[in-house]
Amino acid sequence: MRRQLLSITKKFGCLAGMLVFSAAFAGGDVGSGRVKAEACLGCHGIAGYRNAYPSYRVPKVGGQSETYLIAALNAYRSGDRDHPTMRAQGATLSDQDIADIAAYLASYAAGKE
Amino acid sequence: MMSRSKMLVISTGAMMCFALGYSAQATAGGNPAQGQKKSATCVACHGENGLGTAPEFPVLAGQYASYLEHALTQYKNGTRKNAIMAGFAVGLSEQDIKDLAAYYAAMTSQLGTPKP
Repeated sequence: MRRQLLSITKKFGCLAGMLVFSAAFAGGDVGSGRVKAEACLGCHGIAGYRNAYPSYRVPKVGGQSETYLIAALNAYRSGDRDHPTMRAQGATLSDQDIADIAAYLASYAAGKE
Repeated sequence: MMSRSKMLVISTGAMMCFALGYSAQATAGGNPAQGQKKSATCVACHGENGLGTAPEFPVLAGQYASYLEHALTQYKNGTRKNAIMAGFAVGLSEQDIKDLAAYYAAMTSQLGTPKP
């Protein structure tokens, strides 16, 4: 009986988790994200584009995990990540903007454009 | 007037210098095979294929090596704050970082550059 109860609790907990998860991502709109990502593509839309001081290639963000992109943009906005341009860009973005941009970038897949 | 054989010696010498310089540069970078050996702790989250085992973990496969090096260096020195990554990165040497970056950069994935 106890086991059964535990199993039900587990199932229910999982379901609740999924609901929370889907609710959190109901916001990202690929179409709006494409428009809002225009500024991003000034650097991230050029293959092999380099950041100066220090010198490294600007990361590929197309096809990246949506959840990770949201976390990264939030970290630039909050200052947990240190990059002058990305902090300045992040500061102008609302939660909705971040969700939309992340949805758009995640929807990209190399070779399918 | 320079003799033909002298010119050949000079041009061969120049080519050798170039080749040596090039190989020295290649060894100064990362070694993917070494990177694979050092990646044992990375796979739990980033996966054997570098695609990430859950949505919160980024795709590393196919990312630029220089960016991966930069990110790992920032996790190591604390400029980029992440509790999980800080713990791993702190123990990495500069060469470890280069090797790991080379290893993941050499993998293929859906990562790409959207056109403006």
